[in-house]
Amino acid sequence: MPELIIRPRTLKELWKILPTISAKRKYLAGGTDLVTAANAGFDACDAWVDISGLKELQSVKETKTSVLIGAGVRIAGLEAWGAVRRWLPVLTAAIPHFASPSLRNMATVGGNAANASPCADAVCALCAERAEVILELKGKKRRLPLSALFKGPKQTGIKKDELITAFEVPKWPHTGAYLKLGPRAYFGISKAAVALAIELDGDKIKSASVALASVAPVPLMAVKTAGCITGRILSPETARAAAALVKTEVSPITDARSDADYRREMCGVLLERALLGCEERLKAEG
Amino acid sequence: MKKEITEIKAVDGYFEICLKINGLTKNLKVKNNEFLLDALRRYGYKGAKKGCDTGDCGSCAVLFNGRPALSCLIPAFSAHGAEVTTIEGVGTVQAPHPIQEAFVQAGAVQCGYCIPGMIISAKHLLDANPAPSEGKIRKYLDGNLCRCTGYVKQVEAVKLAAKKMRPD
Repeated sequence: MPELIIRPRTLKELWKILPTISAKRKYLAGGTDLVTAANAGFDACDAWVDISGLKELQSVKETKTSVLIGAGVRIAGLEAWGAVRRWLPVLTAAIPHFASPSLRNMATVGGNAANASPCADAVCALCAERAEVILELKGKKRRLPLSALFKGPKQTGIKKDELITAFEVPKWPHTGAYLKLGPRAYFGISKAAVALAIELDGDKIKSASVALASVAPVPLMAVKTAGCITGRILSPETARAAAALVKTEVSPITDARSDADYRREMCGVLLERALLGCEERLKAEG
Repeated sequence: MKKEITEIKAVDGYFEICLKINGLTKNLKVKNNEFLLDALRRYGYKGAKKGCDTGDCGSCAVLFNGRPALSCLIPAFSAHGAEVTTIEGVGTVQAPHPIQEAFVQAGAVQCGYCIPGMIISAKHLLDANPAPSEGKIRKYLDGNLCRCTGYVKQVEAVKLAAKKMRPD
């Protein structure tokens, strides 16, 4: 743990203080990744900038066309917001799969993205929801599609001192699923996970996005697969076609958690299940 | 005068923090590099246990501003101004909490190492939900690993505790 801790209370204060310190620093939010990395001897730095006190980052706002999620909102806190439950079905479905209840009380949405792990559950779900990430540096904002933020495992396009302040998710009338395969039912890091968001017009898929975790160097958008199912009828045939295609889009590796071949196969299985689940719900609703 | 709050600097390797532990205001001198778990244990709150030290096992769980959090991952300085409840604040040997009684009665305690964390998680659940389903109980105890029991008795214990805590 570094010897210098900076705890700004507002963003304005943060941008005022940063130029006055020369120490190599990192932002500390929930601490669940940064602290464990520091304890293990990785990511050494001379100062932590503790942003957990920045109230500006801790709420969810609803506009006419979008939902704005503050980067400091804790994973467990997401469900409390009506806008999240109403407009973000994939993210809501991903929450129980995210680590353990106590870790969800600590970890933040922004931290999940900044950590840039390909297995990040909240990030994968937000990618499928078509979220944009909003970054701020000294009061200057920029935004980009969340999936474009990642350059590789633990690598992002975030500039020095730049801070993720929010995620903006467009309101679109979609349903979806988040299916994850881990070492056990809950509380594990995924071998593979699929986030599916589809907008239906009757039984036709009007629009779709598919994101996958743990099967590529970054949280992956399966653009071809999403394009293939768009315009088709939501049916077992469509689900099978999507499953076959998604396997060609992923590039999993063999590591401590699983094998590349198994992961690739499971991407197909999970996506097929996700689509069939949506079809079943559609039938049940009549 | 506002400035000193924004920058906490270790003086001779120590941070001075003020927080509420089990309802009492305490001033602690915590070491730079120290985590809340270690600080609590050094000050005599030995109920929270160090299991994995990486946020996996849940045996260090305390209520941090009302929610279960893992004290092994909370830098001690960041507990400044927080409200912390440890297992010592839940109940004592002389006056146990109904959840603690239920864990004993259900035979849910074997080696006991994970139990303080389990009870913290159970308390958070039962305070908000007096009659949780078994699925809900299992989900709330999800982050508390037990290597002795297989969890069946602990789920029973939480059900029993819920019954004890309901007014009817």
